[in-house]
Amino acid sequence: MPTLTIDGHQVTVREGATILEAARAAGIEIPTLCYREGLPPQTSCMVCVVRVNGAEGLVPSCGMIAREGMVVESETDEVRAARRMAVELLLSDHLGDCLGPCQLACPAGMNIPLMIRQIVAGDRAAASRTVRTRIALPSVLGRICPAPCEKACRRASHDEPVAIRLLKRWVGDEDLARGGCWRPESAPPSGRRVAIVGAGPSGLAAAWRLRADRHAVVIFDEREGPGGGMRDIDHQRLPPEVLAAEAQVVLGLGVELRSGVRVGRDVVLDHLRRDFDAVLLAVGEVDEATAAELGVPFGRRGLEADRGTHESPIAGVFVAGSAQSPSNLAVRALAGGREAAQAISQWLAGEEIVPAARPFNVTMGRLDEHTAALMAADASDHPRTEPSDGEPIGFNDEEATREGLRCMHCDCRGLSKCLLRRHAIELGADARAFDGTRRGFERDGTHPAIIYESGKCIACGLCVRIAERHREALGLTFIGRGFDVRTAVPFGESLAEGLRAAAIECAEACPTGAIVLREPPEMREEVAGADD
Amino acid sequence: MTEEIDLDAVDRVVEEVGRTRDAVIPILRALQDHYRYLPPEALRRVCEITQITPAQIAGVSSFYTQFRHHPVGEHVVRVCHGTACHVKGADQVTEALRRHLEIHPDADTDRERLFTIEQVACLGCCTLAPVMQIDGITYGHLTGDTVPDAIADFLELKRRGVLAPAAEPVEGRADGLAEIRIGIGSCCIAGGSMDVRTALERAVNDLAAPAVVKPVGCVGMCHRTPLVEVVIPGEEPALYARVRAEDAEGIVRRHFEPQGLRRLRATITSALDHLLDDRTWTPVTRYALNVRDGAVGDFLGRQVHIATEHGGALDPFDLDEYLDGGGFTALRRVLAEMTPREVIDEIKASGLRGRGGAGFPTGVKWQLVSDAAAEPKYIICNGDEGDPGAFMDRMILESYPFRVLEGMIIGAWATGVHEGLLYIRAEYPLAVQRVRNAIEACEERGLLGEDILGSGFSLRLLVREGAGAFVCGEESALLASLEGNRGHPRLRPPYPSEDGLWGRPTLISNVETWAAVPWIIREGAERYAALGTERSAGTKVFALAGKVARGGLIEVPMGMTIREIVEEIGGGVAEGRTFKAVQIGGPSGGCIPAELADTPVDYEALSSVGAIMGSGGLVVLDDSDCMVDVARYFLEFTQRESCGKCTPCRIGTRRMLEILERIATGEGREGDLERLEALARMVRRSSLCGLGQSAPNPILSTLRYFRDEYQAHIEGRCPAGRCRALIHYVITDECIGCTKCAQACPAGAIPMRPLHKHEIIDDKCIRCGTCRGVCPVNAIEVH
Repeated sequence: MPTLTIDGHQVTVREGATILEAARAAGIEIPTLCYREGLPPQTSCMVCVVRVNGAEGLVPSCGMIAREGMVVESETDEVRAARRMAVELLLSDHLGDCLGPCQLACPAGMNIPLMIRQIVAGDRAAASRTVRTRIALPSVLGRICPAPCEKACRRASHDEPVAIRLLKRWVGDEDLARGGCWRPESAPPSGRRVAIVGAGPSGLAAAWRLRADRHAVVIFDEREGPGGGMRDIDHQRLPPEVLAAEAQVVLGLGVELRSGVRVGRDVVLDHLRRDFDAVLLAVGEVDEATAAELGVPFGRRGLEADRGTHESPIAGVFVAGSAQSPSNLAVRALAGGREAAQAISQWLAGEEIVPAARPFNVTMGRLDEHTAALMAADASDHPRTEPSDGEPIGFNDEEATREGLRCMHCDCRGLSKCLLRRHAIELGADARAFDGTRRGFERDGTHPAIIYESGKCIACGLCVRIAERHREALGLTFIGRGFDVRTAVPFGESLAEGLRAAAIECAEACPTGAIVLREPPEMREEVAGADD
Repeated sequence: MTEEIDLDAVDRVVEEVGRTRDAVIPILRALQDHYRYLPPEALRRVCEITQITPAQIAGVSSFYTQFRHHPVGEHVVRVCHGTACHVKGADQVTEALRRHLEIHPDADTDRERLFTIEQVACLGCCTLAPVMQIDGITYGHLTGDTVPDAIADFLELKRRGVLAPAAEPVEGRADGLAEIRIGIGSCCIAGGSMDVRTALERAVNDLAAPAVVKPVGCVGMCHRTPLVEVVIPGEEPALYARVRAEDAEGIVRRHFEPQGLRRLRATITSALDHLLDDRTWTPVTRYALNVRDGAVGDFLGRQVHIATEHGGALDPFDLDEYLDGGGFTALRRVLAEMTPREVIDEIKASGLRGRGGAGFPTGVKWQLVSDAAAEPKYIICNGDEGDPGAFMDRMILESYPFRVLEGMIIGAWATGVHEGLLYIRAEYPLAVQRVRNAIEACEERGLLGEDILGSGFSLRLLVREGAGAFVCGEESALLASLEGNRGHPRLRPPYPSEDGLWGRPTLISNVETWAAVPWIIREGAERYAALGTERSAGTKVFALAGKVARGGLIEVPMGMTIREIVEEIGGGVAEGRTFKAVQIGGPSGGCIPAELADTPVDYEALSSVGAIMGSGGLVVLDDSDCMVDVARYFLEFTQRESCGKCTPCRIGTRRMLEILERIATGEGREGDLERLEALARMVRRSSLCGLGQSAPNPILSTLRYFRDEYQAHIEGRCPAGRCRALIHYVITDECIGCTKCAQACPAGAIPMRPLHKHEIIDDKCIRCGTCRGVCPVNAIEVH
């Protein structure tokens, strides 16, 4: 029973236990990728390295047997740097998109691929929730948004982008037409009150989010009725009844709208600060005079406020949307309102405000024609759908489904199980620390239960071992060597031939999205933590 | 392409080789010999009739570079990319070949499917660099414009039906007779020694000379091959260098003037054959060397021959001769007079350390294996020498196979082992053949096999060939390969002495280490330990090559300085050039700059200056060598040879190479040096095995001593004028308008202007250097 010291903790383990096992027994977490309980250590990923007895070289803790008197360092800067670099090297040859480029391009960060899959699956309620957790006004934006998501859509590299805007609009319009749109839980009340100045996209989005956090919300606006600047948009493009109906969904969540009140003239900011726990200024584009009237310093482009936390120099006063930074993109204003609302909730809870960061992401970069064709192979080859009843009417149900089937599912099916991503985030790895040659895209979709994308494989060897243990007739093997090593079925056979019994276990064990279940449950549901 | 494949061959091969998992590499080798590549149908058939699985055979056959999965052309041209060949222009040779054979950039075979080009890590003929081998025939000292001649020569040989020479044992012995010794090491054969041997034999026969022609192992003077030495009892031996077949008769005549009747007959015969006599024939004297002459004396004088004892005098096929020279005395003594314990103590006392590179004390290793309880145990000779620029092990195996076997038998006896293997690199067919031959000879004489010399001790030794993977020189990868797997190293500890072949205690040492053992036992540990330095005892064999006047295989006492080796033994760099650095230890080693050349050959001293002893490659670099290019060359090698198992080596070496390539092409960015250094340190610290851990050494050591050269590349200059993207060829006013350059330029970059100064069109110039080679007045400069 050797006793060793790990990061200053004495640990006694059974004879033959590894350093990793000893560390885990002591509650010290060591990241691993190629390790799986019940299989012999692969010692290939080198993410679990530790320093033993001060030696210069680091050793993989998963394979090193603990010995009496060993002194192990696991949490030093140097060890962490080595782990981070191993992860960064793996990321530099990891071909895939964590998140769909559409989602990343959406200022509101809406999980577009998920919405599309829910539409295709006929799960309108789920689609509504996916859309409305991020976008409070989908019917409105579905008419006026210039759709940066479609410019990023990878399907455009093959033929034409998926009609994302019309799909989102279909979700919003269906909600309005049939009722039953998704609403956040807004009870019991938190006891806090927030004043929002401005009932435009930013103010309404903030209200929607603040109600989800169960705060009482009062919106002040100098104009009669909600909508702000959006009410000036050509009525052909954005019919007033659509705007009114969708704003009503927000107000219907128990938000009070005080119309005809101009803050700075009819009521001063200090009074709002006195009567409310926090104030959000979402008044749209301002000039210096308006800023002076509000009593808030004018910054470079609008009311002075921190870009990340939305805090103005005045305590308890936040700024969002065009009031902070002018934009003619309603979706950007809307995203800003939501972000500011989150900041306010954190502030009200006495927490440090954590600015919304871009999610960690690995990207495939630009697709060449060949790769685009390979990726499109599993999607419908139908050309982009035009609404048969014309643009003002939008998609009918059948068209929405048909268009949804064109989505190439760029977002990774392994997102929630991916250890590479998890460790990358924990270790603060930069996905683009190393550039250089990468593998090409390949997708083996021959297997009924799983999908294999070799570009995402990190050559950990687990699936090879698992297939071997299942005594697969063909199984999997490493082909080639060095940088060009690939995990593949022998003799160039398909995955369906290679894995007859071991497929599900391989998908479970794969530490990345290389081998995944064809339809992992989370691909139909929002996964906590996956997008925030 | 669907050709009918005759699968009966598979059944025959399996019948002969075996059906177990560890037979996979021998089976694949045999199949490739038969089909010239590995047809998938044949591999599937193997899986049907053996224990070998599809996953295993697919993994193994794609791991080792010798295995081909596509049909090849009629002849395989293997261009050596070893270190010496690299610095002497292997890239230009490859390009010239591709141009001459009109091979498409994406292909490796010409349209007529006559020639397939392969790039090989090292053919081990470093002193003939740059070298290529077409089937069995080696062409050395190539340049871009002599490549077509070599191809033409090969086709001519083929047309004449002259097959590649094969070395064969000599019949009979030279008892009391004079000997005409001809080197048959790979370098000598590559230099044409088999033709010379045939000519000598004919001359001896025709002239009835009282001498025998005796093939001998390596003399070490590989820079002067083929070498012929005439040894007449009671006379000073005479040595001839760079001998050609047509010189043979002259040599024989010079020493063995025919007499009497014999003379008459001989004269007539030779007159009919050659129409010349010894008085009109002079050329051979041009090559005559006296052993006591300056150059030869310097080359050989300071060497101490232990692993290479009797170099140039022993016939590698002749066991009796090895016995006459004290061979197997050590084994007899061990069996008759010593206990295993005493033998191990003797090895410990000698201070012998592993010559494979790491320098682990050999005696301690023997002790560990001896102490290990598990049975059976194994003994292994690691002959998978793969470093480009190194050919010590090849020479020892080719020239002194009996010595290596004797060392192994002693080691096996001392540690209680009864079974062993010699794992020899596939690129060394001569070594394999001679070691097999030596095993057979020893078995016949009771020196190997059952009941050795009546001692009751038995040992069975077998030869196993590699299949082209540098990483298999790493002991745990070598074991994986022997067990029939991809050559993936594993985490150590446990070390092979505890958990080796088939999980059993295994005593594994490098060729040179084994070769030192008999001398130590015979002459005593004390004598051995007295050679060398305090912590590095004995001698070390080096393959000296590169920009040095006299390259070859040398054995020097530890403690000799790098400068002594380069200048005294090697004769320094060429006139007009400056000695810049030595690259020692190959891809795992580092560069030692000229100003540190007084560093002695000693494990610790070398590692303190950022190099390693390594297995013994020593390549001399001069001021025309670019250190960035040298680092890039080695990284190209290690990243190609990485097994691909662990992240730092698999991806890290590629990323380092990419940064180096960027720098070498003038695309380097600010921060690249820091990025490179940080990555190199991480790869060194975190890689699983010695290959990855040492792969950054060439970078770190050149960054340490030649950082300004890296900086110059980032600024767009290659000070040595070597990196193509950063240089231009310019014709100076010296040009006499002879048009030779214009005729020779393969890219048409020099318009023909007879009697006028020529000019190079920079956009078209491919920087092959051909024009420089043909210019009679040195009017072409590199800027």
